[in-house]
Amino acid sequence: MLTTNELKRYDRQIIIKGFGKEGQEKLKRARVVIAGSGGLGSPSSIYLAAAGVGTIRIVDHGSVELSNLNRQVLYWDEDIGRKKVVSAIGKLKRLNPEIEIEAMEETITEANVSRLVAGFDLVVDAMDNLPTRYLLNKAAIDSNIPFFHGAVYGFEGRAITIIPGKTACLECVYHGAIIPQEKFPVIGVAPAVIGCLQATEVIKYIVGIGELLTDRLLIYDGLTLKFTELKVKKDPNCKHCGHTGG
Amino acid sequence: MSVKINIPSYMKSSTDGNKVVEVNGSTVGECLNHLVKQFPRIKKQLFSKEGNLFENITISINGESAYPEQLAKPVKDDDELKIVLLIGGG
Repeated sequence: MLTTNELKRYDRQIIIKGFGKEGQEKLKRARVVIAGSGGLGSPSSIYLAAAGVGTIRIVDHGSVELSNLNRQVLYWDEDIGRKKVVSAIGKLKRLNPEIEIEAMEETITEANVSRLVAGFDLVVDAMDNLPTRYLLNKAAIDSNIPFFHGAVYGFEGRAITIIPGKTACLECVYHGAIIPQEKFPVIGVAPAVIGCLQATEVIKYIVGIGELLTDRLLIYDGLTLKFTELKVKKDPNCKHCGHTGG
Repeated sequence: MSVKINIPSYMKSSTDGNKVVEVNGSTVGECLNHLVKQFPRIKKQLFSKEGNLFENITISINGESAYPEQLAKPVKDDDELKIVLLIGGG
């Protein structure tokens, strides 16, 4: 049941055709994990908090550095040196005090990944490295939790939505490819675009509206301002999802 | 076979700024080899020293992933290939 204040706060989205109070109540009941609170996690958490997702868990082990501030818009100059999750929670609670936001200051590992996503409805992949993305992808599939992937490099971005047992997963698309860990180039507007697309997909999935970005990797090129797609298929031999149906 | 290869922005400096390059070949591998023949500088962005396509590069044929055995996939006249970099930053 939405409060009077909530009805007012979310009025502009409630009046979207197909959204309604019912959609808003679904958002209020939803529990979303955002894995990573950097360039992608900043916009996705801001817009999911603003949209009224009832419970958001943010997982990140890092502290704010000056070099983060060109893209990680949850953090400001005054936050340098603070733990990201602490700073993020402070900002998001000020943005929307009517939702629950919890912080997990942990490095995501094979040992803890299942625990970190347990009991949640969706996982947003806002990590900055492929090995951790694969851990999350597998944990999401094993726990039957929809997984919303995004990645950036320079002016480019990628996004895909993964529904366990039904659609291609991250491993089906990336095949375990590993990119040497290096300082990658990125302009803040690239994760802004992709993080907002991830949040869009999360909201659509929860509300049950529109068509999801499944079985197609969205390729965003900010330099030409073009969106293209790579059609992908669920791989029956995939080591992450091959054992599931679909 | 005459095939078009779409070059991603970050590789255009290796193709003299060309966004699209016409190549000949009956497989993806032959088409990429013809691309390299025209623009040798792109070779090190596509292939390892051992001559394998980098694992973070996927080729699409008319918008569909050519994986697995991408280089052996047949192509036909007027097909469009695209070089897609798989990325992991966030």
